[in-house]
Amino acid sequence: MKKFRFLLTILLALAVLLAACQTEDAEPGDDEPVAEDTGPFQVAVVMPSAINDLAFSQSMYDALIAIQEEMGGEEAMTFDYSDGMFVVDDAAAAIRDYAAQGYDLVIAHGSQYGSSLQEIAPDFPETSFAWGTTLDTFGIDNIFAYEAASQEGGYVNGVIAASLSESGVLGVVGPIETGDAKLYVDGFVAGAKATVPDIEVNVNYIGSFSDVALAAEAANTHVAAGADGLTGTAQMVVGAIGVAEENGVLWFGTQASQTELAPENVVANQVYRWDVVLSEIVDLIDAGTLGGKSFVINLANGGEVIEFNSDYDLPAEIQTLAEDTIAGIIDGSIDTGVGTASEPMDKAPEFEGGFQVAVVMPSAINDLAFSQSMYDALVAVQEWMGGEEAMTFDYSDGMFVVDDAAAAIRDYAAQGYDLVIAHGSQYGSSLQEIAPDFPETSFAWGTTLDTFGIDNIFAYEAASQEGGYVNGVIAASLSESGVLGVVGPIETGDAKLYVDGFVAGAKATVPDIEVNVNYIGSFSDVALAAEAANTHVAAGADGLTGTAQMVVGAIGVAEENGVLWFGTQASQTALAPENVVANQVYHWDVVLKDIVEMIADGTYGGTSFVINLANGGEVMDYNLDFDLPAEVKALAEETVQGIIDGTISLLY
Amino acid sequence: MISELFSMTVLVGILASGIRLATPYLYAAIGETFSQRSGVLNLGVEGQMLLGAFAAFYVALTTGNLWLGVLAALIVGALMGLAMAFVTINLHAEQGISGIGFYLFGLGLSDLLFQKMLGTVETVRGFPKIQIPFLSDIPIIGEIFFRQNVLVYIALALVPLAWFVLNKSTLGLKIRAVGENPEAADSLGVSVARVRYFTIILGGILSGVAGASLSIALLNVFQQNMTSGLGFIAVALVYFGAWRPWGVLGGALLFSLVNSLQLWVQVLGIPIPSDIAVMMPYILTILVLVITVSRVRPPSALTKPFERGD
Repeated sequence: MKKFRFLLTILLALAVLLAACQTEDAEPGDDEPVAEDTGPFQVAVVMPSAINDLAFSQSMYDALIAIQEEMGGEEAMTFDYSDGMFVVDDAAAAIRDYAAQGYDLVIAHGSQYGSSLQEIAPDFPETSFAWGTTLDTFGIDNIFAYEAASQEGGYVNGVIAASLSESGVLGVVGPIETGDAKLYVDGFVAGAKATVPDIEVNVNYIGSFSDVALAAEAANTHVAAGADGLTGTAQMVVGAIGVAEENGVLWFGTQASQTELAPENVVANQVYRWDVVLSEIVDLIDAGTLGGKSFVINLANGGEVIEFNSDYDLPAEIQTLAEDTIAGIIDGSIDTGVGTASEPMDKAPEFEGGFQVAVVMPSAINDLAFSQSMYDALVAVQEWMGGEEAMTFDYSDGMFVVDDAAAAIRDYAAQGYDLVIAHGSQYGSSLQEIAPDFPETSFAWGTTLDTFGIDNIFAYEAASQEGGYVNGVIAASLSESGVLGVVGPIETGDAKLYVDGFVAGAKATVPDIEVNVNYIGSFSDVALAAEAANTHVAAGADGLTGTAQMVVGAIGVAEENGVLWFGTQASQTALAPENVVANQVYHWDVVLKDIVEMIADGTYGGTSFVINLANGGEVMDYNLDFDLPAEVKALAEETVQGIIDGTISLLY
Repeated sequence: MISELFSMTVLVGILASGIRLATPYLYAAIGETFSQRSGVLNLGVEGQMLLGAFAAFYVALTTGNLWLGVLAALIVGALMGLAMAFVTINLHAEQGISGIGFYLFGLGLSDLLFQKMLGTVETVRGFPKIQIPFLSDIPIIGEIFFRQNVLVYIALALVPLAWFVLNKSTLGLKIRAVGENPEAADSLGVSVARVRYFTIILGGILSGVAGASLSIALLNVFQQNMTSGLGFIAVALVYFGAWRPWGVLGGALLFSLVNSLQLWVQVLGIPIPSDIAVMMPYILTILVLVITVSRVRPPSALTKPFERGD
């Protein structure tokens, strides 16, 4: 009895705590019960951010208000919404609830809701659904799809920005390089370059739709790099707009009017008018068509409008140029040169019922290192395959306990995922036991080249010594003290390759340079990594590098002591924008695409892959804010070229 | 190479980083000393540290006020301590197991909050190094002891304070009595439950501040599982220090100094494999534990729930 009471109390305590941690989900449909057919036209919408985000969600909210007015007010049309639904599972529950309550039209306003909608819509054949931004209705006849040709307004903004720029530098703050955001950014760059061919447009994708602080920091970075005009897309840009205002630089908005945030700095906004689409959808529903069509808003159909800030004194000739550009895009005489996101560059194989990937990773997906490099790759592969409807992935991160990871790998395999990735060499022996039990499932693991001779295991590795070598060359060239320091985790695998490459590159450039190497014996001990970096600094190092996720501690020390940092695995520039010189960034998607193609052809494993500089799986990412002397940059690029064409040998 | 180990730069480097490394251990282990002296083994230290680290980081990042960050860590630590106290004192739960539960809870919740509220690794401007006038100018000693951040000084000041409270105050007498012979203490009118609530919550507070010392004073970042076992080492240091604040200080310093020594051994290129070097602090800990444990007796009521007999 006592034990029971104890357990009950624990469960209650946990439940209370967990409930407290949840975000406030708007309870859909807590309004009056739904009336019969005779009542007003009822719309429900689920949105990822707040209705007043001055961006994506607000554009839909404003459209609903407009359509309500157009239809004759609340008697003719009512709408309910759940905003801030960034958790897709919650959104799916809300969408189902709304449909069950008999709304005439349920809008899932976010491409992340696609796969949920695909499941829900067939259960409610009498309800019409709409979702975006995409053109894909899944061939389901009660789903409408909508997309914005955001590159068009982006192009116009780019033309204006380039015309106004005095410094010849513009900055862009984007969320994730995909979909609507990518279209807008590419359009902006194209417009700016078409107007002033040698203009510099620095683009920064911060990897988040919600990280306002990072967006602000990205904007600061652009300003420091000399930009006098900024733009950006998605709801986190409010942070960047504040920076624009503070620094007196121009801002170009998109999605909704952002003028009120910085009345003196906003020049123009591309405003989405989804009501153009919604009004067509409502007409179709009235006529008995519940879906199966897709729509695009653009400048020509009035779904996108360029709204100039009347308080900003735009020179007349530039205003004319902008209006000519709009007219040119509408009549087709100007081609933005930017395609739609729904067309991947190289054709990905298609899988019946979608391709499902699961991945188990030792640290957090946002570790700015090993695990993040895989997460970013999966996002890229998803985009390549055509979005969530073609490919979905699930992950378990922070699996530093190998037994837990093994259980997760086995679970994923048992659930029928097409590809299960064990992203960490520590998972090898578990995988060796599990894979033979699931011959129909393909497994991949790294970093290693060993498939154990099992024909449903792929292996992948990074030639991390290559970027390590390049970093070593740069570090040795920049070092004044003649001492460099390396913070490594455990002397094995990927880490050892990188460290050895770094040492070799440094020694090849400055033969008598001292490179002190410290392996701290842990992948996660941030405090010890920091202390190792302190030790290097005390020993005179003026350039540091390190690999694995615990190096965030070391990067802080580099920043504090004003010494240089060389990153690897993922871009670490954001952590110390003044100290990071260059990063070797992993693009595992190069390997994953090969694996997907092999699985499509019926091969489930038995092959191993290496990413390197030559195949684009490793990319040197220079920090644009760091003033790298031209001759050092040239030397680094020659080194990259030499490694690619084999004139520099890394056999040491 | 070995001779370089005795150069001034290296010796100062070892001592200065030893003190920095020892700071989180000191907070957590002093807190743990209090709860163990009252008879409660709290293995949830690591989880309390992680939540404290996150709370401090998040509050410091959003408000820009580092002391509010410390306050947040303190409150979060106190709440965790309160929950731990309820489970061990009122529900008589097995202390080792429930402590592990609290560790896992802190690990998971801090990660969840990190993912939802921050989303990515960020940095914050933490407590600056304070140069204590005059003292910081003393050669060698100044650099080692008097150019640290404020949380390091507070950690060092806690040691004599804890010694005084435990050995010279009535409260300390009650704590020791409850840990050695709760029945006797109870019969003399000391509330065992109240004393233990106090020590466990105090332990939670100090663990929370230990986390804050990492996230807003020493490292100025937050990352998932950033304590990486520090909390468990802190528990070991309490045994190591024979449940005495000065012993805990000695243990924390010894462990940290050997750790910074092994960093220097690698930097100086002394030919010891890195795998062996990183084991040095742990081997030393085990050796000292073997020696002290045979000599010193833990509090008699440690891990034993108290139930008032009729």
